[in-house]
Amino acid sequence: MPIAVAPAGRKMKVVKVTADDKTRRHLENLGITAGAEIEVISGSGGSIICKVKDGRLALDKNLSTKILVA
Amino acid sequence: MLKFALAGNPNCGKTTLFNNLTGSTAHVGNWPGVTVDKKEGVYKKCAEPIKIIDLPGIYSLSPYTPEEVISRNYILEEKPDCVINVVDATNLERNLYLTTQIMEIDVPVVIALNMMDAVTKRGDRIDAKKLEEKTGIPVVSVSALKNQGLDELMKRGYEASKTPRKGKTVLEGGALAHLIKDCRIALEGQGVENALFHAVKLVETDELEVKSHPASKAMVDEFKKTFKDNTFGDDFEAVVADGRYKYITQNYSSVMVREKTKKEKLNRSDKADKVLTHKIWGIPVFLLILFAIFHLTFSENLLFIGAALPEGWVSLEGTAAEGLFGTEGIASPGVFLTNLLGLATDSITAAVQSAMEAGEVASWATGLVCDGMLGGLFAVVGFLPQILVLFLFFSILEDSGYMARVAFILDRLFRKFGLSGRAFMPMIMGFGCSVPATINTRTLADKNERISTIRVIPFFSCGAKLPILTAIAGGIGVAFGLPNTDIVTYGMYVLGITVAIVCVLLMRSTTMKGDVPPFIMELPAYHLPQPKNLMLHLWDKTKHFVKKAFTIILASTIVVWVISHFSFGWEFLEDTEIDRSILAGIGQLIQPVFTPMGFGSQLGAFGWVFAVAAITGLIAKENVIATFGTLAACIVGAVIDVETDGGIAAAGAMIAATGITVPALISFIAFNMLTIPCFAAVATAKAELPTKKSFNFTLLFWLGTSYAVSTVIYLIGSWWWTVFIVAAVLAAVVVLIVLYNKGKINFSALKFKKKARIK
Repeated sequence: MPIAVAPAGRKMKVVKVTADDKTRRHLENLGITAGAEIEVISGSGGSIICKVKDGRLALDKNLSTKILVA
Repeated sequence: MLKFALAGNPNCGKTTLFNNLTGSTAHVGNWPGVTVDKKEGVYKKCAEPIKIIDLPGIYSLSPYTPEEVISRNYILEEKPDCVINVVDATNLERNLYLTTQIMEIDVPVVIALNMMDAVTKRGDRIDAKKLEEKTGIPVVSVSALKNQGLDELMKRGYEASKTPRKGKTVLEGGALAHLIKDCRIALEGQGVENALFHAVKLVETDELEVKSHPASKAMVDEFKKTFKDNTFGDDFEAVVADGRYKYITQNYSSVMVREKTKKEKLNRSDKADKVLTHKIWGIPVFLLILFAIFHLTFSENLLFIGAALPEGWVSLEGTAAEGLFGTEGIASPGVFLTNLLGLATDSITAAVQSAMEAGEVASWATGLVCDGMLGGLFAVVGFLPQILVLFLFFSILEDSGYMARVAFILDRLFRKFGLSGRAFMPMIMGFGCSVPATINTRTLADKNERISTIRVIPFFSCGAKLPILTAIAGGIGVAFGLPNTDIVTYGMYVLGITVAIVCVLLMRSTTMKGDVPPFIMELPAYHLPQPKNLMLHLWDKTKHFVKKAFTIILASTIVVWVISHFSFGWEFLEDTEIDRSILAGIGQLIQPVFTPMGFGSQLGAFGWVFAVAAITGLIAKENVIATFGTLAACIVGAVIDVETDGGIAAAGAMIAATGITVPALISFIAFNMLTIPCFAAVATAKAELPTKKSFNFTLLFWLGTSYAVSTVIYLIGSWWWTVFIVAAVLAAVVVLIVLYNKGKINFSALKFKKKARIK
C-alpha cells in the first residue's frame, strides 16, 4: 500500500518507489530503497513524517502516495 | 597552506565545528540547509596553520539541489589535503552512506563522530575504535557543541594529510563490481583523476558524470543489456545505493550497541511533533506564535489591558523617565527597550547641542552635527532594540528546530500557490535581511520556483524596513491621535505577505510555470536554543547594523543635509529657507511621479520630502527614516515649532507639516516595502538569478508591483467606491490568465514578448 495510508507506529518495509528518476535517487540517498525499514510517525492529510534509519523525514502527499510499503 | 574540507549530511554540525575550529561566527541553525555557500577560516593550533573550508551539507555526491553541487565540486576539483567527514552519530547508517562515497575519492579522510553525547543520553554506545578498524579511516569522537575532541581530530587529520590515500569502494563484493572495475581501468587509461569515484558514478548513470564522460557511457549501456537484477531491474543507481546500505548494515552497524531493555516508544521530539505538526492545529499554533512575537516586539499596550489599568499607573509624569514603561498600557519588551534607548540618544543630542552652542560654534556646524548627523542617525538607531527583539524570537524558533516543522505544515498550503514548503525558509529569513534569504533560495530544486521566490523575498519586510513601519505607524498615532498603532505595523507585515502570495500565484500561472518539486525534508531533533548561538546571531545583527549606520546611513544623512541647506547657486540657506534648496528642487522635479500613490504633487509645501525619502531608501532602507530625521528639524522649524527627537516624532512632524492623509501614508509604507530593495539586496538578487534578462525583469517587477499596490491602497483609502473598479480590473486579469492557460485565447503580441524573455 502507499505509505500515505499506512498506519502510524508500525515498522514496515519499502516495496517500491514509483517517483520520477531524480526524486527516486534523492530518496535512495536518504535511505528509502526497496527493502529498507520505514515507520510512519504521524500524518496529516497525506503528508507524513516517517522514521527511516534513525532520522525523521517529512514527505508531501504527492510523494507519499508513490512510496509503496508492506 | 594545508586545506581541510568539512563534508557531511545537512544539519550534522559542520558549521558549529567550523566556528569552534576557526573562531568564526558563521550562522548556525537547527534545520537542514543553513550553509549554502562554502566558507573559509584558519585553524592555528597545529604544527602549521590549516585552512578550514565549511561546505554545504550533502546526502550524497550525486547532487540534488544547486548548493550540493558546490560541495561535490570542491572536493573533486580543489583537492583538499584532507576531508573531515562529519558524521551525526545519532543517525549513523544514513551518515555513513556519504562516507562510503567519499572513501572512493583519492583523498585522505578523517571521520569526526559528532553528537556522541546525544547517543550516550539515548542509552546507546558506539565503538569508535571498531569503526576505525572496519572502515580503515581514522575515527575521532567529538562534540562540536561542547568543543570536545577537536584538537585530537585535527591532529589525526594532520597526520592523515601527510600520506596520500587511494580510493576504495564498498561495492567490491557486489553484482556490479566487474563493471566498476572495467570502467575504472578505462578511465585510468584516459588519465582521469579519481578514476574509481568517476567509475562508480558513471555506473550509477549520474547526470553530471554522463555529461563529462560520454565515451565511457556506451560501455555501461552495453553491460546493462546483459544485466538483470531481480529487485531493481536495470536501475543501476538503485543497485548501487542498495549495495552501499547493505554493506553498511552488515559491516558497520555492529559498532553500535543499542540498549536492549529500552522500549520502543516515542521520544520527546516525536511527542512535540504530534501537536506542532497536527493537521488541524499546526497552522493556528504557528500563527499564534507569530502574533505573540510581533506583539511582544511592537505593542505599546501589552495584552491589550491598557484600559483596565488605573490612571497614570507608571507613567512617571514629570520625571525624566516619563512614558518609559508605556503611557496608555504596559509597553512590550521591544517598545520598553526602544524608549530606554530614546532617553539616552535624546540626552546625547541635547548635551552635544548645548556644548556646541556654549562653545560658540558656527550655527551651520551645530545644524549639521545635531540635526543632520545625529538627527538622522538616532532616528534609525532608535529602532535597533526592536530589531534585536524580533530577531531574538526568530533565532529561538530557528535554533529549537521548529522552523523545519513549519516548512512541513505550510507545504500543503504553499502547494496551492505553486511553491513547496521549502520556500518558507528563505521567506522567513527575509524578515531579518533579504541578502542571506536570497542566497538561501539555493536549497530550492526547481529553477522557476527559485526565481519566483527571489522576487517576492523583499515583500517579507526586513529589519531595515522595520523603522519605516514603526515610525510612520507611530507618526500616524501622534498626528491623528489613533490608539494601538502597532496594529498598523502588523497590518503592513500581513500586506507584504499577501502581496507575495498573490505575486507568486500570478507568476507561477504565467511566466514562471513549472511543476512544484516534491517536498522532502529531514526534521532535526528539537533541542533547547543554545544561548551562545542566540548571542552570536544578535551580535552579528548588531555589528552589521552599527557598521551600516556609521557608513552608508551617516554619509547619506550628511549629503541630504548639505543639499538641503544649499541653493543651486551654492548659497548657504537657513533652516526656514529649505524650500529653495537643491534637494527641494530635485524633490519637486520627481514629485509628480508619486502623485497617483498619494504622496506626490497633491501635498502641501514640503510634500517633496516623501519623494526624496523614498529615493534615498534605494541605497539602504534605513535612510527613509534617517532622511526624515535630518529634515524634520528644519521643516518643523519653518512651519510649526515643536521639539523633534527620534524617528516617530520626526515622522509625526512631517505628517503635520505636509498635510498628508492616512491612506497616502499607508501607501507610502507599502511603496517602500515592496519597491526595489536596497543596493545590497539588488546585487545579491543579480548574482543569484540565472540570467540578465530575469534580473532586469525582476527590477521592473518590483517597481511595477509597488507602484500598483500603493496606488490601489491610496485610491481605495481615499475614495472607497474605487474598490469596484479595482475589483473589476483584477477579475478581468484573472479571467484573461485562466482563458489563456486553457488555450481559449491567444495574444500574438504577448507571445512575442514571452519568447523574448525565454531567450
